[in-house]
Amino acid sequence: MDRRLYIKSVFGLAVAGAASFSILKWVSMNRAVVPADLVHKRELLAELAELIIPQTDTPGARAAMVHDYMIMVILNCTPVKEQNKFIDGIAELEDYTAERYGKDFLQCSLAEKKIVLKHMARNSSGYSYKILNKINNKLFGKPFFLKLRELTVEGYCQSRLGATQGLAYDYIPHTFEACIPLRKNQKSWATK
Amino acid sequence: MYISDKNKQLNTYDAIVIGSGISGGWAAMELCKKGLKTLLLERGRDVKHIIDYPTANLNPWDFKAGMNNTLKDRETDPIHSGAYSPADKHFYVSDAEHPYVQEKPFNWYRGYQVGGRSLTWGRQCYRWSDLDFQANHQDGYGIDWPIRYKDLEQWYSYAESFIGVSGNCENLAQLPDGKFLTPMELNCIEKHLGDSIRKHDEHRLLTIARVANLTRGWDNRGPCQNRNLCTRGCPFGGYFSSNSSTIPAAMATGNLTLRPFSIVTELLFDEQKQKAKGVRVIDTLTNEVLEFYAKIVFVNASTIATAGLLLNSVSSRFPDGFGNGSGQLGHNLMDHHSSAGAYGIHESYTDQYYKGRRPCGFLIPRYRNLQQDKSLNFKRGYNIQGHGERQEWMDKAQSIEGFGEEFKAQLTTPGPWSIWMAGWGECLPYFDNKVSLDNFQKDKWDQPLIKIDFAFRDNEHKMMSDIQQTSAEMFEKAGFKNIETFNYNKPGGSTIHEMGTARMGHDPKTSVLNKFNQMHEAKNVFITDGSCMTSSACQNPSLTYMALTARASQFAYEQLKKGEL
Repeated sequence: MDRRLYIKSVFGLAVAGAASFSILKWVSMNRAVVPADLVHKRELLAELAELIIPQTDTPGARAAMVHDYMIMVILNCTPVKEQNKFIDGIAELEDYTAERYGKDFLQCSLAEKKIVLKHMARNSSGYSYKILNKINNKLFGKPFFLKLRELTVEGYCQSRLGATQGLAYDYIPHTFEACIPLRKNQKSWATK
Repeated sequence: MYISDKNKQLNTYDAIVIGSGISGGWAAMELCKKGLKTLLLERGRDVKHIIDYPTANLNPWDFKAGMNNTLKDRETDPIHSGAYSPADKHFYVSDAEHPYVQEKPFNWYRGYQVGGRSLTWGRQCYRWSDLDFQANHQDGYGIDWPIRYKDLEQWYSYAESFIGVSGNCENLAQLPDGKFLTPMELNCIEKHLGDSIRKHDEHRLLTIARVANLTRGWDNRGPCQNRNLCTRGCPFGGYFSSNSSTIPAAMATGNLTLRPFSIVTELLFDEQKQKAKGVRVIDTLTNEVLEFYAKIVFVNASTIATAGLLLNSVSSRFPDGFGNGSGQLGHNLMDHHSSAGAYGIHESYTDQYYKGRRPCGFLIPRYRNLQQDKSLNFKRGYNIQGHGERQEWMDKAQSIEGFGEEFKAQLTTPGPWSIWMAGWGECLPYFDNKVSLDNFQKDKWDQPLIKIDFAFRDNEHKMMSDIQQTSAEMFEKAGFKNIETFNYNKPGGSTIHEMGTARMGHDPKTSVLNKFNQMHEAKNVFITDGSCMTSSACQNPSLTYMALTARASQFAYEQLKKGEL
């Protein structure tokens, strides 16, 4: 695409995005989060995390207690706007499940759960322009699915089970070997 | 304040050193080794080697919220939370507790504790060359350095031999070789880039970083265990810090008195002798105000704090700050920029990997303006620092689609090789980039807040563009893909290489210190932290502070013995 045209179209979309941003949304994004609301979703989060990083020949996210990590990070380390975005995302997922299957997410079959999460993933793809996604994420926080997946990955890869079994953890390497052949089924190093 | 003769005697030393960071630790050690009874004053708490490294042996899962700082951290430490993580937070100050005034955005990162920022430093050790010491003289920015490479050469060797620096000799005029331990090793992709650079430009090369990480046992420390957790403090003593090295060495002489919790608020001037007679200190545990006296005073509080301390030390002789007859005190603040660079991935070597976490990257020594190059639109130069690795989970997490077994499989296996590299660039000395005192706002010890007024200018910005361009070119020629250039536009201070607020020079009318880091206007005061620097070059500066400190200590000692001080 012609660079000028590109900038113009990006600018146009940004204006459209800003115009649809209501005061009501701002207020709702900045409301105080009640920790218990999230803690009550512990089982749901465990299930979602396990869908993202399931048990295979190595432990999955549930065994690594990724749900507790998520709750800890959302409540203590996440700006209130993003907290709300996350909590709203859970509500949206539950609403969608109820509408589609007429039951709670946790009562769904594995196949149904995957369909629901796929729907949430599709919804989070956002704009087709990288820069608009960036602006959007900055203004409103990361889309629910991406935040959920990011926390799952962080929580899993830094957990004892994830780091030592899902990945390769080298507590004290002693030496540095600069170039060595990749071994069969070599896992990534857990830490840099 | 009434001070009895007895107390005065008790509080009198041969030498006082203010600040226990990298240069203060060196000053204390050198003076103690020469037999001087030395008082080392540190405003923060004590940090004992190994004993006070609480996170050094923790695993990732021991941090319940990972490497995320809490919301509260970000509120109380808006600046410092950008530098620390839960793993090393305890070695950084709290912004709420230690405020300063930013006239323009400036990140003043500090570590108020014994050892200062030597605990968390980047450990890069590069000598300066005459290209650097002659730069001001040749292009007219700033004033001429009163020293040349030959003045410092033996002191570089002395410092390197003591701290232990691993690195490779490259025989470059712009980056003199040193006394090195066996170098760390480049990995596949770094060697690949290095080969390509050498092939395409005879004036450029890529070498392993020269770092104060030990590749073998040294001075009862190390070797480095390749954990790459240096900023937590190293239980193996694998890298140099005041805590692991100079302070224990000073302590071993029996001549050191280390006094933490001691904020020096003023240098005291002796009108009769026209010298410093000592320092005034607030004991932060008791809030007592004390005075200590000595024949010589080394000021090593760090560039910005040293300027603040001297500006706060006024007398009828020095109404504008101690030793500030030149009017240069607090001015000419510099910091390297390190915002611009490039990133790329390479599709080769997919069957190769590495083991261990080498605590350093590579260096592409300066290749711009080695002779003044008229075709370039900026003065001076930069070096490139970077590192290569295979993409791991933290890099891949964003780019892999979907979820489930396939996602997990991709996440947990090594991705393509990649290199991140950026230019560490020289900052010219501008008079208006400065530190001053706020006459209205005080800290909790009733001391004036420090104001920092700093900005990079045209020369630095043009250099950043050049860094992006040449980095991308080197990647292209080496066959890298998805090359992205970046400029983080970090504010001043972000490289944590503050320099220049009490510069050295020949002329007392335009400089604060002479060629031995001795104050022109008070001969028993020596300043050997970053504030003494007359220009910034592009090399990481700590090694030069150490060499200057050792040299100045020797000079001070000789002068003292001759009865000149």
